[in-house]
Order: sequence, then structure tokens, then C-alpha cells
Amino acid sequence: MANNNDNFDHVIVKKPSVGERMFKYRWFYLMFLPVAVVLIIFYYWPMLGIRYAFSTFKLKQITLRTGPDYSTGFGNFARLMDSDPFHAAFKNTLVLSIINLILAMVCSVVIALLINEIQNAWGKKIVQTVLYLPHFLSWVVAASIFMLILSAGTDATGADTSNTGFINAILLQVGILKTPVDFLTSSKAWPVVWYIMNRWKETGWGTIIYLAALSSISPDLYEAAEIDGAGRLKQTWYITVPSIMNTILVVFILNLAKVMNVFESVFVLYNSLVYDVSDVIQTYTYRVGIVGNDYGYSTAIGLFKSVISLILVSASDIISKKIRGFGIV
Amino acid sequence: MKKNVLKRFTAMGLAVIMVTGLAGCNKNEATFTLEGGDPNDLPDTISVMADTIIEEQNGLQDICDEYERQTGIKMTVEKPDHAKYYEKVTLSFASEEPADIIEMGSTYYPQLADSGALWDMTEAWNNSDSNCKKIIDEDYVDALKINGVLYGFPMAAGNGTITYVREDWMKEAGLSNPKNYDEFINMLRAFKARGGGAIPLTASGFLNNGETPYDIYLREFYQDAIPDFYKDEETGMYVDGFAQDEMKEAMQRLRDAYQEGLIDSEIVTNKTSTCRDKLGSGLVGAFNYWAGMWSLKLQRTLNEGNLKPIPPIEEANGYTERVPTAMAMSIYAPNKAAIFEHFIMYSHDGGEGQMLFTHGVENKHYTRNADGSATALPYYSDPSTPVEKSFYAPELTITNWNDPIPLDPMVKSSLDEFRKNRRFASVPIVRDVIAENLADLNVVKDVTIATAVTSKTSSVEDAMEYYNEKGSYYANAILDDLNSEENLAAEEAALAAANGESVDDGEDADASAEE
Repeated sequence: MANNNDNFDHVIVKKPSVGERMFKYRWFYLMFLPVAVVLIIFYYWPMLGIRYAFSTFKLKQITLRTGPDYSTGFGNFARLMDSDPFHAAFKNTLVLSIINLILAMVCSVVIALLINEIQNAWGKKIVQTVLYLPHFLSWVVAASIFMLILSAGTDATGADTSNTGFINAILLQVGILKTPVDFLTSSKAWPVVWYIMNRWKETGWGTIIYLAALSSISPDLYEAAEIDGAGRLKQTWYITVPSIMNTILVVFILNLAKVMNVFESVFVLYNSLVYDVSDVIQTYTYRVGIVGNDYGYSTAIGLFKSVISLILVSASDIISKKIRGFGIV
Repeated sequence: MKKNVLKRFTAMGLAVIMVTGLAGCNKNEATFTLEGGDPNDLPDTISVMADTIIEEQNGLQDICDEYERQTGIKMTVEKPDHAKYYEKVTLSFASEEPADIIEMGSTYYPQLADSGALWDMTEAWNNSDSNCKKIIDEDYVDALKINGVLYGFPMAAGNGTITYVREDWMKEAGLSNPKNYDEFINMLRAFKARGGGAIPLTASGFLNNGETPYDIYLREFYQDAIPDFYKDEETGMYVDGFAQDEMKEAMQRLRDAYQEGLIDSEIVTNKTSTCRDKLGSGLVGAFNYWAGMWSLKLQRTLNEGNLKPIPPIEEANGYTERVPTAMAMSIYAPNKAAIFEHFIMYSHDGGEGQMLFTHGVENKHYTRNADGSATALPYYSDPSTPVEKSFYAPELTITNWNDPIPLDPMVKSSLDEFRKNRRFASVPIVRDVIAENLADLNVVKDVTIATAVTSKTSSVEDAMEYYNEKGSYYANAILDDLNSEENLAAEEAALAAANGESVDDGEDADASAEE
């Protein structure tokens, strides 16, 4: 009996052409068409707007329809590099966002691990619901809540404390403070408040993806570890964390792409006494671009921001590939 | 091979898309005339872009239909979302034919005028023989002139803020209206002495959220200080008001009052809504806020006690009336003179036009009573609330007309008090250099005043050193431009041209004036 493989040794399988393959899968392409159209119209077409970064483009050019003046070239970028407020905003954006990103990762993973340990199904659902709820509040509401509870009271002398928020009231009661502290107008305290507000609002939501990853870990691994005498902590450290490490990395890299986009949470909480630590690129762009109608300059800031995000994501992806052997890009 | 060909075609396709996109941005050519045309050449349709007109669900179409019935001209209205109104206005110029008539707030009006987008309606106004001309308070028209040129017509008074105080608190303390700064501070001290968390005076920030006039809210403290650029009448040159001695004195007054606990310690983080909430909770003794309808709304928030608008103290030089909201006309509008007469003048005619633009349509938004007066009907969408206005706020009318729907006495009293003591704010100066530097400069101003008042700096002088160090770069750039010979000559020429005077500088100056 002849070997079947021998019969086909001389046959050269012709790979179908792109056209043939497209025709073969035409119905898939047809289904993808609306997605492609949406992507082009709403994501790629607006990218043409980056050309304004290299122009002088103000209200006058719009209203008189003379179009942007491209003789500016890299002038907007030169102005950017020369601007002290922009430098401060850039530094603040990186500091606030990266610390917040690390805190987000740590808090979400730890909370997810703790939720995962809850055995009672009802208890688990209640805890999850309570943790997810703040995510659905707007930043304005979240900021208002923090302003209320952190209020130092309305008397600048500190003599009348009847209006102080409950945090100050507690600290005064236990003797940690002698006079109320206005946390929101202190350059030292403001970033801490901002981190706490962010974590309070978003940590619960951030646990969802880790809980999904945790549910996919095989129980056999824990069983085997138990037989080997591993306790709860060792199981977590040697089984759980390595099992969700890929998810952690993917989430970290994806979130890193968004570090330059912090706006609303800062905008609702900052004030003139903490500009030095709270003014970020987006709030700066808002002031210059929207209030000042300087579209060319604000587009330049936007483009600069995107390039920095791209560098951060690419760098972290490369590092991830070197350390873990894979990335996501 | 085929793969490479496909890649090339894809790249070429993308390049074509890019090029057509780039080319497409310049396809709109400016096609307009600045002449007004014949005022009797009625347009078929007038398009309006408005922010504060009545909503669709409350009968906007009824207003348009009634306007067409009254004038024979079709009226179309676009009312974008309030938060994106000015973005839509700008976009309408960029991407399509803008509306003929555009509602313009005092911040955007000079910017659009400076950009050349608005029609100069000075001549149309001067030549108009409408009834509006007979019954209008011309101060409001003058308040919108930029170097003597009228680019928009006031739709209502700009209104301003007035200081409200708790009358019951004053009575308990045996006080009458404060006449000067010392009496004002004594009144605040008396309010503070009540204890129980009483806030003698509240406000949201020191500089009115970056909108001019910056000093509108804390008049008692600013007094003769102007934290903005202005033209010194003696020298004819622009100065930075923030760097003047008057401003230092104002900051010192604010600092002293703040340190004494007379000003809400949360002034820096307060929003206006926070202030209103505090007032409603019965905690606040004095609050400077809008005259008119707000007097009623603020009173309604109070559970007990009553508010009273007080006259300005001597040193405050009156309250400030904001630049009125304007009905401006796009340079691309056809039949401009006709639209001016049959829309803008008609809406202030003291008769059925004004009634339509103020109270809406009879039997839909109001009913006539037997004695000739009228009563507002409820909103379609809210049967418990009577219609306040269809477009122009009745309490802020700029004409001397006999409004058949009388104003609430409290609204009237606050407006009377305000108008007795008002002075008009000037239209903000608009220059490219200002647009480039003002955002950064305003941050420096904010920081300077906040740190000075809340004692983050050891003294007002220290705070001013910060301002000089960080703000002088921006302030000097603005001053250099404003005081340049070219700018001053252009301003002078524009003013002379508007006044019909001959210009000495010949053709160059004329050209500058036209610009």
C-alpha cells in the first residue's frame, strides 16, 4: 500500500491571490465594511487635522475663510518649547498620570485578589457593586463630594469650625490638627487628594478585567500547591500573580497610552492656589485653544501629546518584550 | 509581487485621500459684500443662530410661524447645545453658510467683530427711522460700539451684579445700608459675630473666572482698581491695570478682610453654585450676584430671612453693567439692511414684534386679559412654570415700552437699584497678541491675587513680585502691541471714521480703519 504522502510530493499548492482570497471571504469583508467606514470617517479622516499644528490658524482665518497660514512651519512647536506654563503642565501631567497609573494597577490587582477570596456569592456581589458604583458618578459629583468632606470650614481664622468637613472634624477631634487644613488649596496635599479621588472612583471598575483573568486560572494548580503545602499567601504569590501577569501588562501598556489625556478629574478639582502642581497639558490646551481661539497652537500641543504617548507605549512594549518575551503591539 | 502591487495601490489611495482632504480645506472662498443693500428689499428667509431662545419643546416653531405671519418673512432658527454654542458658531463660518443673525455674548462679540466676520451696522442704525429708534435707551447701543463702530445690536441689557445682604441680619444688628467701605466692613463684622458658621461674605474666586469685567463680583474691594488693560485717558496710552497701585490696595483690602474671617475661606474653591447653596442654607450674610431674575431665585432658595439689594458703597464707583448680548449679522448675509430693519429693529418695535420676541405667541405662551394686560401661560414641557421669555428677557429690555406682563416687584427693585448706580463696562480689547498671551497671563493674575489674599505670600508686595517676575513677559508683549504707533493710529482713524471726521493720515489710515 502506497503512502498517501508520497502521492502528493510533486504537487505544488498554489496560494490563492489576494483578490481570490477577498472574493472567497467577500461576505466577511462586507460585514466589516461599516466598521471600516466608521473608522475612516471618525478616526482617520480627522487625523488630517494635524496639519494645522504647522500653521497659524485663528478665528480670523475661519470666519474669513482664508484658511490656515502654513508659513508658520514649526513655529507653534518653538513657542511650545519656549513656554514655561507648558513645561510645568507637561511635568505635572507625567507625574500625576504615572503615579496614578501605578496606584491604579496596584490597587486594582490587590482589590481583585481580595474579592476573589470572598467565598459567599452574595457577599462578593455586594462588595463588587459597592466598589463599581463610584465609576458611574460624573467627575463633577466626585469632586463635589471630596470638596465637602475635606472642607476646612468657611472661617479663614479657623476660630469657627462649625462648617468644617468631616475629615477635618475628625482630625481636630482626635487632636492631630489644631486648626482645620484646607487640603484642596495646599500644593502638597492636592495631588494626594487627587490620587485618592481617582482610586475611590475607578479602582472598583479596574478590578473587572483582573477578576475575569482570575476566574480563568485552573483550580488544579491551587490543589497541587495545597498538596505541596503552600499556604494562601504562597498560592497567591506563586500561582495567582504569575497567572494574571500577562493581563496586568496588557492593561498597563494600554493605560500608558492614555496618561497624557488627564483632564476632567483635574479640571473639576484644581484652583488658582495649586496650579503649580495641578495644571496639566489638557487644562493648558483648554485655556489656550478654546478660550484663546488659537487652533494652530493647540493642535501642536495635541500632536506633541500624541507623540509622547506613542513613545511611552512603544517603550513599554519593547521593555515588556525584553522581560516577558511578548508585547501587545 | 501582487502583494507589493496591492500595497502600492493602497498607499496611492491613501495619498489621494490625504491630498483631497488637504485641498478640500481651501475650497470655501469668501463671497460677501459689506454693503447693506436696500432696506425694503425683503429677504424670503432669515436664518438665526441663537443660544437663549425658547426651546423646541416649548414652541420655538410657533415663534417662527408667528414671525412669518406678521412679516411675511420665513424665519429659521438653529439652537445648538448651550455648552457648544460658540464652537458651533465658529464651525458654521468654517464649514457652511453661517446664519444671517447670530446671538453673541460679550466675550465672543469683539472676537468675531475683530475677525471681520460681522457686518458693520452703524450706518443702518444711524439711518433707521424705525420705532425702535424712538423708544430705545441708546446707552446700550453705544455700549456695543468698538472704536465707534457697531457690529451688533443689543438684544437685552448686559445686566450686572449687585450686592445682596440679609436684611433680617442687618435689622438684628441695628444696621442700615453701608455707605462707605468702613461701614461695609463693620456690617461684615456684625455678620461674623453671629457665630454658628455664619459667612459674612461669599464669592467664587477673585477674578470672575477669567471673563471680563474681571472685577464684577467684589466691587466693594476692587473700588477703583481695574485688573485688566485699559487706556489711560491722560496719556492716551494703554496700561496694565493689574500692576497699578490701585490693584495693590485692592489686594490689601481683600487680604485684610480674608484674614479677619470676613470673606468665605473657601472663596478659591467655590463655584457660583456653591455660593448659592451656602446662601440658601442661611449661612451667608452678603453675596454679590446678578440683578433682576436672580434676586427672585436667590430669595426663593432661602428657607427663612430675606435678601435685600443695597446701593454700592461710595468707593466702589457704582456697579458694573456688562456689555450687552448682541444680535450680530454675518458678513455673508444677503439683504443686510433689510434684515436689520425687518428683524432687529422689528424685535424692538415696542409693539407686536417686541411682544413676540419677548413673550412669544398669544394663546400659546401668554394670554391677553380684558384690561389689556397679559398673563404668561405655562411652558409646554412644564405646566407648573409660566413662560419667562421667548427670546429677550423682559426685565432686561432696552426700550421704553409698555410691557403688558408686569415684572415681579423684587426683580424690579433689584434692577432699579442696579440701574441707578451702574456704569457700563467697555467692550474687551481684542488683538492677536492678547489672544496669544492672555490665557497664561490670567493664570499668573489668578495665582498672584489668590496667594496674596490667602497669605501664601508674606505680603501683597511679595505677591506682586511674583506677578512682575512671571507675568511681565506676557503683559509687556500685550502692552507693546497695544501701544504701538500702528495700533494707536488705527484706533484713532477708526474712531474718526465712525464719527464722520476726516482722517489726516490719508489713504493708509483709511485702510487701517477699514481693517
